[in-house]
Amino acid sequence: MPQIEDEPLNNKPKILDEKVTRREFMQVMGLGGLGVTLAGCDATTITIEEGKEDIVSYLSPEEYVIPGVGTWYASTCLQCPAMCGIHGRVREGRVLKIEGNPNSPVSHGKACQMGQAGLQNHFNPDRLLSPMLRKNGELVETDWNSALKKIKQHTVDDVGLGEDQVAWVTGTVSGHQKVLINSHLESLNSNQHFVNETVNNSVWQRVSEDLLGDDAPTFSLDKASLILSFGADFLGTMDSPIHYSNQYAKFRSLPNRGTLIQVESKMSLTGANADLWISLKPGTEGIFAMGLAQYLLNSGKINNLSIPSTVRERISEYDVNNVNEITGASDDHIGRVGDALLRSSPSLVLAGPSIGGHSNGYQAASAIMMLNMLLGNIGKTITPQPKTPLSDLKARSGNTADLVAFTNKLKSNDLKAVFFYGANPVFSAPESLGLKETLDAPFKVAISSFPDETTMQADVVLPAASYLEDWGTHVASQGPGQDVVSVQQPLMEKWKGTSKGVGDIVLDLLKTTAPERYKVFPDYYSYLRGALRALPQGGLNDESFWEQALQNGSFALKGRKQMFRLMWPDINISAPKKDEKYSLYLVPSPRVGLFDGRHANLPWLQESPDQISKVVWDSWAEIHPTTAESLGISHGEVINISSNSGSIKTHAYITKAVHRDVVAVPLGQGHEGYGRFADGLGVNPLKILSSELEPKTGELAMYSTTVKVTPTGEFEKIVRMGADSDSQVGRGLVRTVSATQVKLTGES
Amino acid sequence: MRLNSHVKSNIVSINLIAISLLIISSLAFAKAIDKPIGEHEGEDVKQPIEFPHNVHVIDNDINCLYCHTYARRSKVAGIPPLSKCIGCHKIVAKDKPRIKKLTQYWNEGVSPVWKKVHDLPDFVHFTHERHLKKLLFDRDTPVTKVKYVCAICHGEVGEMTVAKKNKPLNMGWCVECHEKNSGPGDCWKCHK
Repeated sequence: MPQIEDEPLNNKPKILDEKVTRREFMQVMGLGGLGVTLAGCDATTITIEEGKEDIVSYLSPEEYVIPGVGTWYASTCLQCPAMCGIHGRVREGRVLKIEGNPNSPVSHGKACQMGQAGLQNHFNPDRLLSPMLRKNGELVETDWNSALKKIKQHTVDDVGLGEDQVAWVTGTVSGHQKVLINSHLESLNSNQHFVNETVNNSVWQRVSEDLLGDDAPTFSLDKASLILSFGADFLGTMDSPIHYSNQYAKFRSLPNRGTLIQVESKMSLTGANADLWISLKPGTEGIFAMGLAQYLLNSGKINNLSIPSTVRERISEYDVNNVNEITGASDDHIGRVGDALLRSSPSLVLAGPSIGGHSNGYQAASAIMMLNMLLGNIGKTITPQPKTPLSDLKARSGNTADLVAFTNKLKSNDLKAVFFYGANPVFSAPESLGLKETLDAPFKVAISSFPDETTMQADVVLPAASYLEDWGTHVASQGPGQDVVSVQQPLMEKWKGTSKGVGDIVLDLLKTTAPERYKVFPDYYSYLRGALRALPQGGLNDESFWEQALQNGSFALKGRKQMFRLMWPDINISAPKKDEKYSLYLVPSPRVGLFDGRHANLPWLQESPDQISKVVWDSWAEIHPTTAESLGISHGEVINISSNSGSIKTHAYITKAVHRDVVAVPLGQGHEGYGRFADGLGVNPLKILSSELEPKTGELAMYSTTVKVTPTGEFEKIVRMGADSDSQVGRGLVRTVSATQVKLTGES
Repeated sequence: MRLNSHVKSNIVSINLIAISLLIISSLAFAKAIDKPIGEHEGEDVKQPIEFPHNVHVIDNDINCLYCHTYARRSKVAGIPPLSKCIGCHKIVAKDKPRIKKLTQYWNEGVSPVWKKVHDLPDFVHFTHERHLKKLLFDRDTPVTKVKYVCAICHGEVGEMTVAKKNKPLNMGWCVECHEKNSGPGDCWKCHK
């Protein structure tokens, strides 16, 4: 801007020291405009700095690198366990944008909001930049040699570690990182690898394993005419949402637009997209599936001959009227869903974590899988998934059973040293498990990019590079890509600090426990190159194979073709018993964006509205209007939610998108030690979960906790996108037709 | 081969016409861009190596785009990569002190940290590529004349040693040029 005092003004306007009138303000603005015009034919005007900003030229760039023009490189997203292939736009050595890699069999060229927000993971001001050691109870910065020396003292040097006294606790891992972690355990005579994921579908995977012989078959949404989903949020948080969204788009495309029916007690993103959303009493979905099975059998349109008589007898025990009474379904639900299934073949019936997360979860998920068997969907919409022929690289899916097993190991004092990477059990374990109290005993090493609740309890903290700075190989644990190795390559140099790639860190650890074997590898990159050279695809053509793998972002391993081994289930399922004192079920609902809480430190995802409530930067409790009225709760009122294991306070969000017996609190918030963006926001519903287990799988029955809800009389405004109302205020933005009208016109 | 006087006279005429056309086209080019008026007394910026633009541009007649090659393909003209400097200076003027310093950078594998002379605020989107297209290539002007286009914003760099800012590069100055030469007038063209 030109300097006003240089202008030939007779009456200088008063700006700083006196009150400015409207007239004076307009004078200034007018003169400002004049100044800009004058500047064109004026003499010197200094507007910007000269010689202050550094500019560094390339030394000897690749021909395709042009400053100011982005170059896209392929890599792999590690924001959730789906392992999507991504492209990162790199300009002047910095990664600036992430999109999906069209060559990826998982992402098909798309990236979700969590993937896009990977940039904030990378450029996060809370990143750990230096190793830390605990001294006098406090974590203090140190150098890598001192940190590794300390770890060596506690794992190698005369500490007399026995068998299975060292453990790794990680999130879902695969590829060569998993190989190295296992090698580290092996070098310390242990096989204690616990893989923890709060958002998982382990019970469904176990049912798939037991009934089909494949724990991660292919579910082809695009081949189905109708999808009946029991709590499977495949568009939001389940397994591989980008892949499923791609299939869903085909499933919904004309001319044969498929029908989606969602059965769940808290509406998910998938539920919001459904043609019919059925809300059942929590824990009774399996009984509804059995009622549906009986309706299908009674229709006479199912081939009875292939169904064992014991199974038919079991199904006959679930009378439709009884089922309606137990589940709270309306009288015509089973008939409508059953008829739709009989009309639409092939169909696909899915179960999600809220089904497996009850004490009858395995039985319920089995009943749901049995529907697929009755309807002849096996081999059509559910097919075996080729697996990687290299079992060492196969993913280990995370679950909560490992969290329970790890806690039990700690309680029995069996562990002397624990390594944490990609898991935050102090945040994710219910307090009723008692993990936090038992964590003091062993020597703890945390490999992490950020301070978090678990990392801050460690004795040694090793700063991990962000996944956009690191090398790696990954294999998807679910859905497609189980016979494809996704390659992770750094999209930029280390941003700052002395962090190291995860592979490099584990290699450093291995050099202390098995130096003879691993000292030949100067770094993880050389280890990886050596390992890939040993593959049949590598070998003599290693260089071109490697270049192609980097360019494509993945390479196929020609997986073994699998065959199903069908096994009919023996189902005996009853509704969970409820403590009358605690009348509502607590649903800890996974949230698109914040996921299980790992992304609470990314502002883009905090400000991204929840898929259903549109709330930002906070927690809330979804409660049905009828329930709220009976408890005297108003919208926005702070409510106390208490279980046998504790209580949390948050504000009530009154919505019809939950069952009357449910109070749903989203996952993700309630952090205490996860950086400036995450701390102090909302509450963590995981803390007050009971430690009840699903008996068959040993998984935490995360959806079975019952709670008591009481109003406090305090009010807080719920911050959400859009108007604080679901009404369209008469604008007719979305045209609707009542169900009655549809029935009258005979359409469906 | 001997040519008769008539043919000779024709050749001379054609040459004269061609030369006249060249002069006219040069004048037309010079006239075609109506330059904005305004000067700026830039600061002397200390650079790690005192790069003599005059030696390169005037004495050796090197085209601006030979070194600032990114200008035609990117929003930034860019500082040439060190490998480009060394491409010539592994042979040329090796004994000069500034070239010795340059070679030392190359041998040590580090780039000099230059100081930016022509800076624009972050909220201004300026693209060299678009301006060169409009002012040079779309007018079928020979690329050898690019220095006249560069000079509109950067001044007579060929007369400088270390580059110095000598045009205002402020909004009024830019807008004036856009108005005189039918450049876009939408706010978002520059403020996107």
